[in-house]
Amino acid sequence: MASGCPAAFGDPTEVREGFLCPLCLKDLQAFRQLQAHYEEQHSGEDRDVRAQLRNLVQKAKRAKKKLLKQEDDDRTDSGSQEQYESFSYGGVDPYMWEPQEVGAMRSHLSEFKKHRAARIDHYVVEVNKLIIRLEKLTSFDRANTESAKIRAIEKSVVPWVSDQDVPFCPDCGSKFSIRNRRHHCRLCGSIMCKKCMEFVSLHLASKLTSASREALGSHTSPNSSPSSVHGSRRGSISSISSVNSVLDEKDDERIRCCQHCKDTLLKREQQIDEKEYTPEIVKLYEKLRLCMEKVDQKAPEYIRMAESLNKKILSLGLHEDPQPHPKILQLQRMIRYSATLFVQEKLLGLMSLPTKDQYEELKKRRLNMVALEAQGRQEEKQKEFISASAVNGDETHIKKGTVKKSEGWLPTSSISRERERADPLLQQIDNITSFIKQAKAANRIDEVHTLQENLMQLQDEYDQQQTLKAIELSKKQAEEEEIQREELQVLREKEWEREHHKFMSQHSRTRSLDFREIKQHLDVTWIKGDTSFETPIEQLPAKEHLTFTLKPQNVPQCDKDRDQPACLNPFEDEADTPQVEDPANPFAKDTSPVVSFSNTAQQSDKKEYNPFESEEEDEQSNGAPGSTSNPFEEDENTFEKPGGSWNSGNPFEEGSSVNPFEVEDGSEISGEEAIEEELLLQQIDNIKAYIFDAKHSGRLDEVEVLTENLKELKHTLAKQKEKSNC
Amino acid sequence: MNAVLAVRQYVSKMIEDSGPGMKVLLMDRETTGAVSVVYTQSEILQREVYLFERLDSPNREPMKHLKAICFLRPTKENVELLVQELRRPKYSVYFIYFSNVISKSDVKALAEADEQEVVAEVQEFYGDYIAVNPHVFSLNLLGCCRGRSWEPAQLTRTTQGLTALLLSLKKCPMIRYQLSSEPAKRLAECVKQVITKEYELFDFRRTEVPPLLLILDRSDDAITPLLNQWTYQAMVHELLGINNNRIDLSRVPGISKDLREVVLSAENDEFYANNMYLNFAEIGTNIKNLMEDFQRRKPKEQQKLESIADMKAFVENYPQFKKMSGTVSKHVTVVGELSRLVAERNLLEVSEVEQELACQSDHSSALQSVRRLLQSPRLSELDAARLVMLYALRYERHASSGLPALLEELRARGGSDRYRKLVSAVVEYGGKRVRGSDLFSPKDAVAITKQFLKGLKGIENVYTQHQPLLQETLDQLIKGKLKDSQYPYLGPNTLRDRPQDIIVFLIGGATYEEALAVFNLNRSNPGVRIVLGGTTIHNTRSFLEEVTAAGFRGRSTESSQVPPRSSRR
Repeated sequence: MASGCPAAFGDPTEVREGFLCPLCLKDLQAFRQLQAHYEEQHSGEDRDVRAQLRNLVQKAKRAKKKLLKQEDDDRTDSGSQEQYESFSYGGVDPYMWEPQEVGAMRSHLSEFKKHRAARIDHYVVEVNKLIIRLEKLTSFDRANTESAKIRAIEKSVVPWVSDQDVPFCPDCGSKFSIRNRRHHCRLCGSIMCKKCMEFVSLHLASKLTSASREALGSHTSPNSSPSSVHGSRRGSISSISSVNSVLDEKDDERIRCCQHCKDTLLKREQQIDEKEYTPEIVKLYEKLRLCMEKVDQKAPEYIRMAESLNKKILSLGLHEDPQPHPKILQLQRMIRYSATLFVQEKLLGLMSLPTKDQYEELKKRRLNMVALEAQGRQEEKQKEFISASAVNGDETHIKKGTVKKSEGWLPTSSISRERERADPLLQQIDNITSFIKQAKAANRIDEVHTLQENLMQLQDEYDQQQTLKAIELSKKQAEEEEIQREELQVLREKEWEREHHKFMSQHSRTRSLDFREIKQHLDVTWIKGDTSFETPIEQLPAKEHLTFTLKPQNVPQCDKDRDQPACLNPFEDEADTPQVEDPANPFAKDTSPVVSFSNTAQQSDKKEYNPFESEEEDEQSNGAPGSTSNPFEEDENTFEKPGGSWNSGNPFEEGSSVNPFEVEDGSEISGEEAIEEELLLQQIDNIKAYIFDAKHSGRLDEVEVLTENLKELKHTLAKQKEKSNC
Repeated sequence: MNAVLAVRQYVSKMIEDSGPGMKVLLMDRETTGAVSVVYTQSEILQREVYLFERLDSPNREPMKHLKAICFLRPTKENVELLVQELRRPKYSVYFIYFSNVISKSDVKALAEADEQEVVAEVQEFYGDYIAVNPHVFSLNLLGCCRGRSWEPAQLTRTTQGLTALLLSLKKCPMIRYQLSSEPAKRLAECVKQVITKEYELFDFRRTEVPPLLLILDRSDDAITPLLNQWTYQAMVHELLGINNNRIDLSRVPGISKDLREVVLSAENDEFYANNMYLNFAEIGTNIKNLMEDFQRRKPKEQQKLESIADMKAFVENYPQFKKMSGTVSKHVTVVGELSRLVAERNLLEVSEVEQELACQSDHSSALQSVRRLLQSPRLSELDAARLVMLYALRYERHASSGLPALLEELRARGGSDRYRKLVSAVVEYGGKRVRGSDLFSPKDAVAITKQFLKGLKGIENVYTQHQPLLQETLDQLIKGKLKDSQYPYLGPNTLRDRPQDIIVFLIGGATYEEALAVFNLNRSNPGVRIVLGGTTIHNTRSFLEEVTAAGFRGRSTESSQVPPRSSRR
């Protein structure tokens, strides 16, 4: 700052002429500098000098007018800042000021916490007190206790304020009289008038007390306390209220309390409610952020890598002497082109989120979906409730699935795949039908119209898809049927002989199971055949065979019986999941065996059938939303022969399906034995569970059948063990 | 010393401290302004702040999945509202930042309300002012004085704002004030008091030369806010009005919907940053260049995208291109409107006479020019009144004053009584009697020499001859020549060296012309950094409101009927 001027001073050794300062005789080289210098250095000096200067300046003006003008011309381009140029030796634009540290700040957190802690302790004690009292008040059977006794208990929980001490209601100030009677708060003992009185329902009471107990429980487990802010202190509430008691009365009585206590309790209830609630948006948002982060991380790397790779590919061999073949160059170009396309699709695609209109539409659709889903979920829940024991079955199902997959391509998977493909369309159709309903209900005719159009399109699309599939299938079938038949025939005969032999020598059991086992065994054979031919389509002969084996009547009978207690389990076992998943069909457990059985019958009747027929059926059944997917699935199964036929055999396979595996694998592939044994054990467990279930609900006939099955299973297991031992 | 950066850093820190997750920013009226001038919405969205709420807005939905960052002034109302909020928390966690010193009792009240333990942070972040530019801040206070003394509430607010600035810049300054102004002295004392009381806060690393706070009074220079301006920022404020960097263009004829309100922020508008201090003619040229640049780029964007490099370039440039097209349309609209107003109100001619009045001392020619203009039917009421005001201030005590005649002419033009009364009110506000320094006729030899030299150089630009008084004052301050007798130090200590970091505060409001002057001083004086602040930033209209609010009604020279004092304001 003090150096504002020195830079302007000329070299002192120079000849003393030009713009000399009249006071210190420094050469300032330009008029402007002289002016600045004078202001800077000598303005404070006395008047004489100033007068002298004025004189000098006048002289200067006259003498150097020409020069000055020249200089001015030079300077005009600097515009409005001109007048500062005389001493602009590099001041700083405020925008360029060097970075500064963050400004001062002061934290009050520790003090805040201190005050809060004091307050919270008070609050927590208060709440806990109320909850403990509430627990005591609700711990006895209110309905069956005399009112006098209740009163005594209530008084023992908290001392009541004596009536004489309170002539006026403390909340509203009205005077107590015979008509305006005193009421005591059961939680704090205070008195209020009837108007100011509140009630705590027993439901709320049990919620509050049990929540405290749960909190205690979760507190001890390692993965507790989801919110870190609330932490140990919340625990303190629960630790005090650990006095547990059973709350088993269900009467609609309420507990009287004052507004203040009620308020505190309600707040506590809100806290409980909020504690474990994470809204959908948070989950989705977190996912989105994660994705964005990943893109952030990967994108630069991708760009770098792709760029260098592309360059390398392009320049590959370009510098070699014999130029590479034009086709090679073309290949390189095409690779580059495809990479470009990739970028166009993927990277630029990053930027296009739904537009506002689309977003609105999506939102609308989503809303409806959610409504539907909620409905579906509810029904599913109901079903789950019915089939409480299905969990075990699931496990076995999974294991079995894996075992089978290891053996090769299976119709099972083909079904699930088909289903997956069909699902979105079907869902869409469902949705739209329900939209139409809703729109109709709301009398929005134009919307109904557009929606119906949409529906038509979708159905067309679906029809096409199905038709194509059917045509494809039948073609394939026609082509391969012949060959397969021949080959299979040979194989089957061989197998037959072998198996027959074994069965005869190995065991004696009830006929029904025998049949089933034979059938199962055959199925397995076909699967084996599959692997060897690597084609899924040779189920047709199997089906023939199957229908043949099914003829004995006691088999389906037995299975049906068993199906009832076990409900969905057998179906789940073999991927006939539509029935399980179908939310709209609570009767699935009764009807499904019948349906599948009839399917089989149908199949056996006509080998070649028209997919269009079944589709028409589909559309009819489509009318009822929710249940639509199920018939679809069913029909699909039917005309997709590989899946359908096998599938329809499933109900009969059931728990004992492993047996033939055992028998066969035992002799052939001993490696899988352990698993099979496990499966058997599981199956036994399952059946035990079913028996228990059936006993519980008093279905004695089922119990009988089940026990029989169980016996058989055990028998098989024992035999298997025996076999594996030797 | 960068005010904008200071507030930005505070806001960034708040957001950082609250960790990842969705956030809502809870503010009051004033902090909303403070944050909005330093952060754009898109910038703040990038940092996961998705909602902006006013603490006092009545029906906020409870959203337990959001974290709340509260940035609030520590007023009674805010504390009360926050207590209510904490009793029934609407968000999961609260990070509370007060923009100024908060009392212990308020902290206690809040702590006791936080029964659900939702508060995770309580801090003071001193962003208690509007950071207009890096070197300019404002408190957006209109009508800070009543007569010649402070409105008590405004004094408190101004003290808070000024101390907050000092804290955010980490400056513990020596204080000088304008002796002739009572409010300046009061403010200086109040600031000193706060510094003494909060000595722990003001305990910053000592610099060789302590920073300096200079407190001035607008009434010393009533001319500057009355002049028409020709540099971009000042002109926009004068003709259209800038409010927290926003410009309301809704009155512009035929304006498109998305340009109703535009934001002029030097932080993220390169064109504005480069042109805010250039004059109107230069801006015209630059706008043309901008347009041409834009046109040139346009077709280039439509070329084929086939290589990854192309793609990358496109993806990278597209936002810039979008932004540029936004910038172009914004500035074209603004400049178009400015030139429309200039033509409509004949402002070139008006401004020439204004400058003549402000900078020259030829009474008869000035009076003649004013008279001539007053005859013109195109002259707007405001401009007519403004000319008469300037004349009245300039030749207040001239022997052959033409003021009564001018007022008569003003009346004959048929404007409202208000402006005529304001003429005498302005004289009362900033007349010779009040002024501590000489606004017009330089007394000492240096000043005379300077003026003399100016005359000899010839005038460069008729419309921008005027230099605000502040320029002169600061110039002297930088050179260490500002008279202690006129601008005494508060307390016994005086600065022996020349000041380096200067904060100058204008009670009664600064102007963008002064902002420009300070900008230029910053650029031309190495080692010197000056920050200019004011209770507000004035244009002519707001300045006249300020004068009215101060209670100067003006003793109408030609009519005796004066409304009672209370009816004003």
